[in-house]
Amino acid sequence: MSERFTAGDRVRVLATVDGGNPRTPHYLRGRVGVISELHGVIVNPLDHHLPYPPLYSVTFRVEDLAGPPGPDLVIADLHDEWLEPAS
Amino acid sequence: MSEEHAHPHIKDFDGHVDAVASDLEYFRRKRIESRVLYYLRRGIISWADLFRAHEAVGPAQPVSPQPDLELRVRALEDSLDALILAAAVAGTRLTNHTVAIDDTRRERGDYEPVFRLATRSYDGDLETRLGLLEDALAETAHLVAVLTRALVDRGEVTEGALDENRQRLSGLGYHNGARIVARAWVDPEFKRRLLETGREAVRELDIPPGRLGKLGVAENTEDTHNIVVCTLCSCYPHDLLGNPPWWYRTDEYKTRIVEDPRTTIRDMFGLEVDPGRKVVVHDSTSDVRWMVLPRRPEGTEGMTEEELAELVTAESLVGSAELATPSP
Repeated sequence: MSERFTAGDRVRVLATVDGGNPRTPHYLRGRVGVISELHGVIVNPLDHHLPYPPLYSVTFRVEDLAGPPGPDLVIADLHDEWLEPAS
Repeated sequence: MSEEHAHPHIKDFDGHVDAVASDLEYFRRKRIESRVLYYLRRGIISWADLFRAHEAVGPAQPVSPQPDLELRVRALEDSLDALILAAAVAGTRLTNHTVAIDDTRRERGDYEPVFRLATRSYDGDLETRLGLLEDALAETAHLVAVLTRALVDRGEVTEGALDENRQRLSGLGYHNGARIVARAWVDPEFKRRLLETGREAVRELDIPPGRLGKLGVAENTEDTHNIVVCTLCSCYPHDLLGNPPWWYRTDEYKTRIVEDPRTTIRDMFGLEVDPGRKVVVHDSTSDVRWMVLPRRPEGTEGMTEEELAELVTAESLVGSAELATPSP
């Protein structure tokens, strides 16, 4: 499970992923953000049994999420299978 | 909506009672009854185990009367704290089954509201609400006691493991975060290691680093104010810092903070973030659990690390408050 993205890449969050980690917030689905940090594959057996694909911090502008204009940001931690390249 | 335990007297009884009702419902639905249902559905315990355990445990403990309203509210808050601890202890790792947090998230409705257990309301005047909450807390504590007994009788946990877990959980709290922050303020090399390695760095302070995935540390600076949320449930570095403030678990906070962070911080917490600073919301999705490294207040140059740790509040570790210069 290697990382498809690197810091600075623009990515779109998919609407649905069969068998994907359900921990992808609904308000981010379909939205475009920028990869800001790579966390790799995190082994976290207290939380879940199998490691999920690599995890990234993805930065979204609040104004791109239908929020008010301004400099504010939302950073969410999302798994590889939920992301596709965005132009 | 700040915690007021540091104050000698309660000024806002309704606010305190609202907080207890909100938290009782969160823990009852998401951490207690959903877990009982999970164990029953998976055959880890049976209904008959619960009935037998109930007979062994006896009836719910009645609430002891208090001489005045303030003490009654304090006693209510204490029984909520005891319930939260008992529920966490009841989550001690099982002998014959491996249950991860993820197993119960779907069943408790984190992803599909249809699975959510109904929320109860505790309406009425203050006296009525107190009575309803006292009864509900006693009943929920009784359920936790029965569940724990059933797990012991089934051989899924031992009394020793429960004691060990109770001791470990009792040592958790935001004071661990306060010590981490104070060390980061006085030791730039420690701060660098903390930001880079998270949990590994806190071992230097003899703080048990916990095992819930990765610790993310978001540093407040001149141009950035950070705040943490978990919009799907209430992920937080519990295993290091204990529970976050009660409002962290409310739907109102989880919904509003990502829609309009700056206004929400002002409306809910009375904190005006300078227009020259950006607000960054960290939405945790469990594998990285975030804490905020608040800015060191001005005028604290002469203070020791221990004195600095005293300044750090639970709120500041989530990002709903900044730290003020201590009054002389």
